[in-house]
Amino acid sequence: MALEEAALIELRSVSLTYPNGVRALDAVDLKIEKGEFIFLVGHSGTGKSSLLRLLYREQVPSAGDVRVDGIAVHRMRAGAIPRLRRNVGVVFQDFKLLSGKTVWENVAFALQVTGARTKDVMRQVPRCLDLVGLAQKSRMFPHELSGGEQQRTAIARALVNNPKILLCDEPTGNLDPSTTTEIMELLQRINTKGTTVVVATHNQAVVDRMRKRVIRLENGRIVGDEERGFYFLGLGQGQVLSG
Amino acid sequence: MDWGKVKFFLGEVFANLTRNAAMQITAIGTVAVAIAMLGAFLFVQRTAAAVSDQALQQIEVSAFLRDGLDAKADSALAARVTALPGVAHVTYVPKAQGLKQLRDKLQGEVDTSLLTTNPLPDTLRIQAKHVADVPGVATAVKTLPGVVDVHYGAETVQKLMRLLDVAQRIGLAVIVLLVLASFQIVSNTIRLTVYSRRREISIMQLVGATNNYIRLPFIAEGVVAGVLGAAIAVALLLVAQHELLPVVAQLVKFVPFPTQLPDLIPLAFQLLGVGALVGAIASWVSVGRYLRV
Repeated sequence: MALEEAALIELRSVSLTYPNGVRALDAVDLKIEKGEFIFLVGHSGTGKSSLLRLLYREQVPSAGDVRVDGIAVHRMRAGAIPRLRRNVGVVFQDFKLLSGKTVWENVAFALQVTGARTKDVMRQVPRCLDLVGLAQKSRMFPHELSGGEQQRTAIARALVNNPKILLCDEPTGNLDPSTTTEIMELLQRINTKGTTVVVATHNQAVVDRMRKRVIRLENGRIVGDEERGFYFLGLGQGQVLSG
Repeated sequence: MDWGKVKFFLGEVFANLTRNAAMQITAIGTVAVAIAMLGAFLFVQRTAAAVSDQALQQIEVSAFLRDGLDAKADSALAARVTALPGVAHVTYVPKAQGLKQLRDKLQGEVDTSLLTTNPLPDTLRIQAKHVADVPGVATAVKTLPGVVDVHYGAETVQKLMRLLDVAQRIGLAVIVLLVLASFQIVSNTIRLTVYSRRREISIMQLVGATNNYIRLPFIAEGVVAGVLGAAIAVALLLVAQHELLPVVAQLVKFVPFPTQLPDLIPLAFQLLGVGALVGAIASWVSVGRYLRV
């Protein structure tokens, strides 16, 4: 890593305390380089989602610096948020699709509401639907799709603005194992094309199979950060977990 | 022109308008009532202004002349009065003619045959060039030799003005309340639409739509509701003008209706403008609350 090149995502002693007093993140330091594939693991309520929310400026840290693609997100004007969000795609466990719109419209929506030209919509939407393998189902409504297809639609929507970063918050939480594998393969493919992917998950099988960089959170602190890591700390050193 | 963008935008506005149809109709109805009242008020106000203008124009100074002046002295006096600054026109009414006019005026109401002598003096009826000149003319005329007394409807005029003033204040207060009420209802309706679309809004924010872009369809929705309400109000007013006004004019004969009624066309455009403005501001306010991150 060249010293002069700033990391794509950088957190410096970031803390986040919610108004109800819960300390979601505690002095977190983290660097993510362009093109990485990251798993963010840890128990529920341990700060994974909070960390992701800082990156697309859904949350502002109580202390510390958050930099995304060189922009100081922690002291960003509200008016600058839309530009950041076009650079950061987000995918959720519950897909967050619009039920009254077709697959095509759901994906196009993300472009249309940013004021994109129709010409660009017509070019970008089919490209993304192709990428996620839904070109044949573009006229269907979300309720006519399987869970995996719905998540593919959500991924297509997250990618349609050509973001540098794709954040996934429990993307396979609602999906069966084989669909989960398909979605993870899709994320892998997206990563290979150059998009930095950050996946928060507690799906052990996925993490252990893919062997990516694993960042482990516990009570709002980073307690582990391993290249080609496993879901549980130390498994990389040869231990095998039964079951 | 990017028709795809236009079509998308209009689709969003249409979706907003139809989402809470019942509430939307309530909002449009309230705007219609408020703006109809506003329109009626403005119409009455302008009519009243025309009436009082007309009444003021008719105010004349009566100069009562000393008894026993001969006709030559009378006409000389009339000539002097005519020469006074601010005087437009002078009519000489000899006492006999004055009595005849009085008899005609009171015909059937008072038995004028009881009058055996003529109590009226010879009179000069002086028309001022302008209402504001009336008091000055009266004072000037009073100092002329041969003039016993002058009289003009000072008190009547002042009373009329005060009455109009009070009526206008009350009317205005009512209108302000009504406009506020319709503002509130439009804003509540928009808030409902915003609430039922909060999912879309959160996704818009997530994918990087600017707040202004998110706001726009809601503003358009408010403007459409406001303009529709105003249009209904204007239609009501037009019907009222054609159907109701002649009846009212029959009922209140004692009010001299002006020959030239205020024109409804510019009034209609003003009212449509007010409707659009109420709708726009109301939706701006209610969407704004949802957009704070």
